[in-house]
Parts: sequence; structure tokens; C-alpha cells
Amino acid sequence: MSITMQRLNLTHPLHFVIGLTLWCIWFVAVYGGHAVACSVAPPAPEQGIFTLVNAMLLVVSIAAIALLAALTVGCCRMAKRHEGRLRFNATVSAGLYLFSTLGVVFAAMPIMGIPPCL
Amino acid sequence: MTTINREATPEGDNIKGPNQLHNDLHDIWGNPRGLKALTIVNHTTLGLRFMVTGMVFFLIGGLLAMLVRTQLALPDQDFMSPDIYSQVTTMHGTVMMFLFAIPMLEGLAIYMIPKMIGARDLVCPRLTSLGYWCYLFGGIILSFSLVLEMAPDSGWFMYTPLSSSEYSPGLGSDFWLLGITFVEISALSAGVELVVSILRTRTQGMALHKMPLFAWYILAMALMIVVGFPPLILGSILLELERAVGMPFFEVAGGGDPILWQHLFWLFGHPEVYIIFLPAAGIVSTLIPVFAGRPIVGYGWVVFAITVTGFISFGLWVHHMFTVGIPQLAQAFFSAASMLVAVPTAIQVFVWLATLWLGKPKMKLPMLWIVGFLIIFVCGGLTGVMLALVPFNWQVHDTHFVVAHMHYVLVGGMFFPLIAGLYYWLPLFSGRMPSETLGKWGFWLTFSGFNGTFLIMHWTGLLGMPRRVYSYETGMGWDIFNLLSSMSSFIMSAGIAMVLLDFALHFRFGKPAKHNPWNADTLEWANSMPPSAYNFVSLPKIETRHPLWDDPDLPRTMAEGQHSLAVATHGRREMWGTDPLTGKVREIIHLPGNSWWPLFAAMALAVVCVSLLTRLYPLAGIAVVVAGLFLLRWSWENGAHPKAAPDAEVAPGDPPLHSRTMDGPGLWAMSITLLANGSFFLSYLFGWFYLWTVSPEWRMPETSPLSLVGLILAGVALTAGVVILEKLVRGLRQGKDAGLAVGMYSISALGFVQVAVTLWVLLSADLAVTETSHDAIIMVGLAYALLHGGLGAVLTLLQGLRVGYGYVGAHAPFEPAVVAQWWRYNLVTFWILVGALAVLPRVIGS
Repeated sequence: MSITMQRLNLTHPLHFVIGLTLWCIWFVAVYGGHAVACSVAPPAPEQGIFTLVNAMLLVVSIAAIALLAALTVGCCRMAKRHEGRLRFNATVSAGLYLFSTLGVVFAAMPIMGIPPCL
Repeated sequence: MTTINREATPEGDNIKGPNQLHNDLHDIWGNPRGLKALTIVNHTTLGLRFMVTGMVFFLIGGLLAMLVRTQLALPDQDFMSPDIYSQVTTMHGTVMMFLFAIPMLEGLAIYMIPKMIGARDLVCPRLTSLGYWCYLFGGIILSFSLVLEMAPDSGWFMYTPLSSSEYSPGLGSDFWLLGITFVEISALSAGVELVVSILRTRTQGMALHKMPLFAWYILAMALMIVVGFPPLILGSILLELERAVGMPFFEVAGGGDPILWQHLFWLFGHPEVYIIFLPAAGIVSTLIPVFAGRPIVGYGWVVFAITVTGFISFGLWVHHMFTVGIPQLAQAFFSAASMLVAVPTAIQVFVWLATLWLGKPKMKLPMLWIVGFLIIFVCGGLTGVMLALVPFNWQVHDTHFVVAHMHYVLVGGMFFPLIAGLYYWLPLFSGRMPSETLGKWGFWLTFSGFNGTFLIMHWTGLLGMPRRVYSYETGMGWDIFNLLSSMSSFIMSAGIAMVLLDFALHFRFGKPAKHNPWNADTLEWANSMPPSAYNFVSLPKIETRHPLWDDPDLPRTMAEGQHSLAVATHGRREMWGTDPLTGKVREIIHLPGNSWWPLFAAMALAVVCVSLLTRLYPLAGIAVVVAGLFLLRWSWENGAHPKAAPDAEVAPGDPPLHSRTMDGPGLWAMSITLLANGSFFLSYLFGWFYLWTVSPEWRMPETSPLSLVGLILAGVALTAGVVILEKLVRGLRQGKDAGLAVGMYSISALGFVQVAVTLWVLLSADLAVTETSHDAIIMVGLAYALLHGGLGAVLTLLQGLRVGYGYVGAHAPFEPAVVAQWWRYNLVTFWILVGALAVLPRVIGS
């Protein structure tokens, strides 16, 4: 894990955009995936939230949360190890990864409360 | 990539006096007069032209607003007919959004960014010029529709089917679609070069985390333009094709879907709000520390907030479409995202308040407008969060509540900071100070008039008054509110008139400004007032966020030529090319001089626009070719061309010229351009899959009409071209150019093979483009591939010729690397197109 984090070069400013790009990809995946699922195989309304569509969207969301959370932790660790420019980059990246993580958590909450395709 | 880690052009190395240096630099950078003033490419002049033109369009848009308020002042008015009223409201929104807000802020950025980052110009000066002319001509064409009483009348968002030929048979929608697309060339040009300029031309030592916050904001804005505008360009092209040729992209009977337009429009439209807000917030983040007399609290937090805003704003577009019948779960995603975007905005507000709290604020004129901004924008932000809630949104959809919210956000979030910024930088523009008395009168009239107009509009909206109705009956309970709203709007106009009067008068009667009159910290105040054409005699090494606070003597030493690049004997327009992260010097960027080509190209594009409008298609075709020739001729004068930099000699110790390296700014400009292109392509793919998935009458044939064999053959030719080109570029990196010309000609031939085979596939498919959206969208996809293939072939052909002329080779290896990017992009998109249009339908079926 730590070797992977080292390879990711978490002090590079590219990480300013990677977390939010992942958030965008997740967002498009759940919105588009929901639309396609409703078009191809809409579940019966009486199933409520206990549908394959909700389950799949939730799995994708949990995976996104796990990835983003790991990157948040990685950036925090990097920030402690450096000073100056590299510390600045890692700190801002950590904040952005954290925001992206919480962004997925917040925007995914309706998956656990609203049935799809209605 | 080479990074020069030493001090280039050692400071204090020049032997000429400051006046001689100034004269030498002026000879190279100075603006011509008379007719040749049309050739100017300098960012200071063009930034001012953008802003002055933007203010003219602002006056037109403002006049239209006053007509609207006059009409709505009393019930049952017949001051305007319904048709004219619709034209006036549509053009008010269109002019304010597309011809005032964006170009005005871009103009400010074009003017200010090089001065703030210690550069002498933007990185693609001719592109600045092309952008300005496209903006001017596009704006004139669009505005002329008002004079002809043919203005668009379907709302500034041009929803289909209202804007389609069935319900809008006149030329109004065409004026909008063609005019706006033309103007968007300008926005994209500025977006591309601002990104590259900020990343690659900061002065020596100005690392990313030392960059002025305004530059961060403009970087985000420019990237958002690059990604956000192409969906609308695609939508406009598709709708114009539907109107002009009958391709049914948005017509349900033909397999299209009008909701696709809404998606494409708002994919652009919502980020647009933040494209306007971010630079304005950049002004606020620049001014507050200056007037508080201390550094901003939480520089990193602001960078965080800018980045979050830039991304999340692309995830909100559906909140404009909550009433079109989207499933509840999908609405909930967008509702949540819409609330999320309030977080970075709130962070910025708290940062500004904390800076004021911890500093010693001076309530000078610009600060008055900043305080007005804080009050109005926070109110607008709060109603925005209300509108993010789906049930409330349904209740007030299409009412004056939304109009009020929008104006609180846009006027509060853009206009107030803009005026603050203009007052702040006025001494830099003119060397004179504005009148505090006139300015304060202007502020209070505008502030009270604005709130009187739009605060009341929240109530008329909550009482159920719909937007875009030209009249209303008395007795609805709206009369008094509308009257107050209209009266207040005239007070606001008086305030704005006073501000503009102050601006105009100060050039003649303003007190001469002392140097750095506000005691600011950023580099633009190291310029002379008004600035010279080259900004700085010498370029300093900057390793602090507050250069003028930390070294108040810096303007003097810069003007005396005690820093780098204080040499002009070579006759080139030069500035540093630096590492985007660290600010270490990599190369000397040499810029082109004044040129007629941008003006000529824009004029040819204007002919294209007008001839499409008047349905003179042969003329449009000829004008396209002419515009292409002008643009290619422009590209010819680059690198080692006699009009660019035939002599690569630099001062001892200085890095090489960018055209003699493999990593000049053109490479970055191409990358950013391809980012915009990629956004266009993804929007196209979205359209294809959207119609396939959602359109109620989508008709896909049992077997694909496209020849898979033909497409694969074309793809093989393209792939072979890329492989050879990569080999040649690798060779150039190693200093080898044997067989370069022949290689380029071979690649060009492969490109033409790809075009010919793709054309054959298109023609043999026998597409019924006016009958089904399926065939129409395939046609657009293949046309995209043809255009890219053709341009790639022509560019490599020109490279072959340039090798022959000696402009390209091991001594000047830069250009093939730029062209290779185009070919790589073409390769990726072509194979994706083959997969999406020809393979997937065969695999999945209809």
C-alpha cells in the first residue's frame, strides 16, 4: 500500500484535480448507469429501494469512497513528511480528496432512500 | 524537458541606461498607429478593446432591460408587442451573458494576467487578436438582428422545439446559433491562451504556490471555458443543421429528443455561472488583502475552494431541468451536488471575512463595491440553496423568483466585484484617480436600486408571477411590486450611469495617481502608469506571494533593467518560459509581432457566418476555404521563419529559444485545444448514446449502414501515419532529422488515404440524414473524423514543405511534436467512433 502511495507521487499538483475528476466519473457513472438501467431493465415499483439497481449504484459508490478515502490518508501522510511547496501541494490535495470523499457520501445517500426509475 | 536551474541573464548584467533600454524595447513592442492599429496583437491594447467593447454591449443589454421593466411597470401595458417583448428579453439575456459578462472578464484577464505574473504578453498574441475580432464581428452580427426586428425570441437558452424551424420559422434562432458560435471562438481562444500563459510564462521563481490568487481564479475560469463551452457549440451546430437542412436531432418524430438540447445547453450553462463568478471572486480575493493591509487568511483554502467550484459546477446542470420528468433518484443526485457547491463558496466568504476581521480595512471606493458584493451575493447564494431543493424548485420554476435569484448571483457575484476591480485598477489604466464623490453616489444608487428591483421580484415570484410573460392582468396582487421594481430599476440605471460618467471623466479630470496608490502587493503595480507595451524592462525573480510588500523598491530596479531579459538588440519579443510547478526558467519564448492574419481570418469567418445565415451555402464554402488559408498562412510564420526567429542566438548563459526545444508553449496550447476538442467529442458521444437510450422514437436499422471493413482500412492508414510520425519525433528528440521531409509527405499521404476511405464509407452508407436522427448523428460523427483527418494531412504536408525551407529540422524540432499531438488525438477519437458507431450497434443491436 505504502509503495503504491509513493508511486502516485502525492505531492504533485496533478492531485488537485484527480480526486474531483474521480468524483465526476462516479457522478456520471451513477447518473448514466441509473438511466441505462431504467431504460433496459426497470425494476418493479413495489420492490422499493431493494433493487439490483440500487445495489449496484451503492457498490460503485462504496468503491469510490474507499479509493478517495485512501488517497486522502496518503496525501495527509505526505504532507507531514514535506515542507514548503510539496507540503502545500499535498495538503491542498488531501483537502480536495477529503471533499471528494464526502461529496460521494453525501450525493450517494439518496441511493439508500429512493427507489430507482420513478 | 530541460529546466535551467541557474540564474539566467544575471541581474545587473546590462550596460545600457534605462531610457535606452526603454527605447529599444519600445521599437520592438510598440503599437503602430493609423490603419496598422488593426494589426496590434499586444495584450494591453486588446484587453482594453475587449473591455470597452464589452461595456458597449453592456449598455445595449441594459437598455433592453429598461425596456422590459417599462413594459412590466403596470398591468395590461401595450408599450411593446408580445413578439418584440420576446425578442427584447431573449436579447437582454443573450447580450449580457455572451457579449458582456464573459468577454468583459476575459478582457480584464487578458489585460491583467501577464502583468501580474511578470510576463510581457500572453503566450499566443495573434490568438488574442483573432479572439477579439471574432467577438466584435459575432457581437455585431447578433446585435444587428435587433435592428432588423429579427432577433431571436425563444429565450436566451433557445429551448427546442420553440426554437426549431416549426415554431420559429424566421431567422431569429439562426442569428443566435451562428452568432453565438462565432463569439464562442473568441471565448475558447482566450481560454486556451490564458491557461498556457499562466502555466508556462510566470516569471522566474514564481512557483505555483506563490502565484497571485487572481491567476488561480483565471486558470480555473479558463479551463472551465475550455471544457464547458464545447457542449453548447455542438448543440448549436446540431440545432442549426436541424433548422437549415432538416436533420432531426431534437425532433421526436425523427428519432430525436428536445431534452437533448436542454442537456447540452445546461452542460454549458451551469458552469457558465461559475465561469462568470470565479474571476469576479478573484477580484475580491485580490482587493480585500490590499485594503485590509494584510495577506489573505488561508491562501490554500482559497485554492481548494476554486478547484472544488471548478469541478462541482459541472455536476449541477440537471437542476435547471427538475420539471422535465427525470426520475426522482436522478434528481436527488443533482440536488445533493447543487448543495455541495455552496461549500467552497462559503469557504471563500469566510476567508474574506476573516481577512477583513484580522486586518485594518480601509473603506475606499473599491471596498464599497466589495461590501455590496458580499451582501448581495450571500443572499443570492442562499436562494440558490433553496432552489437546489427539488420540491421548492418545482414550486417556483419559471417564476420571477428564479429571475431574482439569477440576478442576485450574477449582478451581485459579477457586476459588483467587476466595478470594484475597475475602480481599483483605474489608476493603472490611466495614471489617474477616480472621483470618490461621484463613485459613492454611483454605488449607493446602484445598490439601493438593485435591491429595490430584485428583492421585490422574489415576492412577485412567490406570488406566482411567471417569467417571460409580456403583460399581466391587474388584480393578481403583482401590480405594486412590479411598479416598485421598475422604479428601482431606473434608480439602478442612474447609479450605473454615474459610475460610467466617473470612469469617463477621470481620464480628463482625475487627480494624477501616485505610484502604487493602494499600496498593493502584486506585480502589476510595478508597471508604469499607464503601462508600456512590453510591461517590464526587466523580469525579476519572484519567490514571495507579495513581491511589492516584501521589496517596495522592486518597480524601480525592474524599470532600471537590473533584472533578467533586459536586452533588445536581437529584435525579438521575448519573455521567460518557465516550469509550470516550480517557476524555474526553461527557455526563452519568442512571440510573434503585429499581424494582419487574425483580422483577415476573422473577416472570412464573418463571411461564413453571414452566408450561412442567408443560406448562401456556396459562398459559405468558399469563405471556409479562405479562412483556412489565412489561418495556415498565419501558422507558416512561426519558428525559424524569417518573420519569427531565424536567428537562434541568445545571450551567454541564457536558455535556448522555445522553437529550438521540444517543449514550447505551442505544445501546451495544442494540448489545451485538444482538451476543448475532447469535450466536444464527448458531448457528441453523449448525444449518440442519449438518443439511443432515451429517445422515444429512436430507430436503429437491423444492420449498421457503415462498412466496418472500410472504417478499419481507414483506421489502419491513420495508425500507420501515427506510428511513422512518432518515430520521426523520437528521432528529432535525439537530434536526428534524416528523411524528415519524406517521412512527413508519407504521413500526409496516409492521412489523405484515411480521408478518402472514410469519405467512401460515408457516401456508400446511403444515409437518410433528414429522416432519422440515427443517420443524421452518424453523418456528423463521420464529418468530424473527415475534418480531423483532412486537417492532420494538410498540417503534415506543410511540415514537409517547412523542412524543405529549413524552418523545421534538428535545429528547430518543435513543430512536428505539436502536429503529432493532433494525430494522436485523431487516432484515439477515430477508433472510438468506429467502436461507437459501427461495432457496438452490431454487437448490441437496436
